[in-house]
Amino acid sequence: MGRKLKKPPKLNLIPILDAIFIFIFFLLMSAQFIDIYQIGSDAPISASSESHPDKKPLNLTIVLTGENIIVKTGLEENIYKKLKMTELKKLNESLIELKKKWPKEESAILKPSKSFKYEKIVKVIDNTREIRKANTYITALDKNNRKVASKVLFEKIIFETID
Amino acid sequence: MRRMFFNKNARRKKEDMELDITSLLDVLVILLVFLLKSYNASDLKVNLVKNLVVPSSEARKLGNHAVIIQVDKNKKIFVNKKEIGSADTQGEIDSLSEALKTQRATARDPASKKSKAVNLLFDKGLPYKVLKSVMHTAAMNGYTEFKFIVQGNY
Repeated sequence: MGRKLKKPPKLNLIPILDAIFIFIFFLLMSAQFIDIYQIGSDAPISASSESHPDKKPLNLTIVLTGENIIVKTGLEENIYKKLKMTELKKLNESLIELKKKWPKEESAILKPSKSFKYEKIVKVIDNTREIRKANTYITALDKNNRKVASKVLFEKIIFETID
Repeated sequence: MRRMFFNKNARRKKEDMELDITSLLDVLVILLVFLLKSYNASDLKVNLVKNLVVPSSEARKLGNHAVIIQVDKNKKIFVNKKEIGSADTQGEIDSLSEALKTQRATARDPASKKSKAVNLLFDKGLPYKVLKSVMHTAAMNGYTEFKFIVQGNY
């Protein structure tokens, strides 16, 4: 009747606290508070392109001057589309069309004018390398020639200059 | 009366002091989650110089350790955070060329001596002619793989 209720046993949290402290120190030391990423580009001298003898090469060239984006194709550099900097969505859509026709092409040549701002160049690169629409994919071939859904457009960016 | 007082004191000493660490644990768990979320597996560590704002991009590829060239909005050039000159001239930039040669010569590990990669951080407002001279100089010194470092945007 008069028996006292037993106290519930307490968890020994000290070892787990030690581990958490060490983990926090490790994470604090390796923390970087801005997320940084890279966009790769090779110098033209080291750039390589595969040859497709059965089809004419795309030779995709994007000329950037002032507020204009001119998309050129073929060795003769025929104008494919002429757009404004505000029409980046249209640029992306045009490049999707081109990628569908030339699925094996991976490179695009950028020709910015000397005064073209770096920030705008990065925006154009973003729209050249990947499909921006959320649920849009294209069929691409992987290394074993199997069809896969992909968002990659022209990943290899090569810079050229117009004077 | 006095005896009673001493007995009470002795009983108190016997009981262990107990710290309530629940609130401390709460704080630690929140800190842990925040740090885990911001953890980046990349071995590239960048200390941005003053007057440099990198553009934001959709790119999601993590950077790697390599020589870091930074050019701020006043066209001052920094190689591994050390100021070496300015990018006012067109064509090859002599000061940058010298710095890159020194970097290659003083590199300790063989991988860095042969490395072709260079991390480029440009202020978002710089015109292409500055980028062109820096890239041209880097390429002339054997750094032909340009890695433009950008900020992730969400």
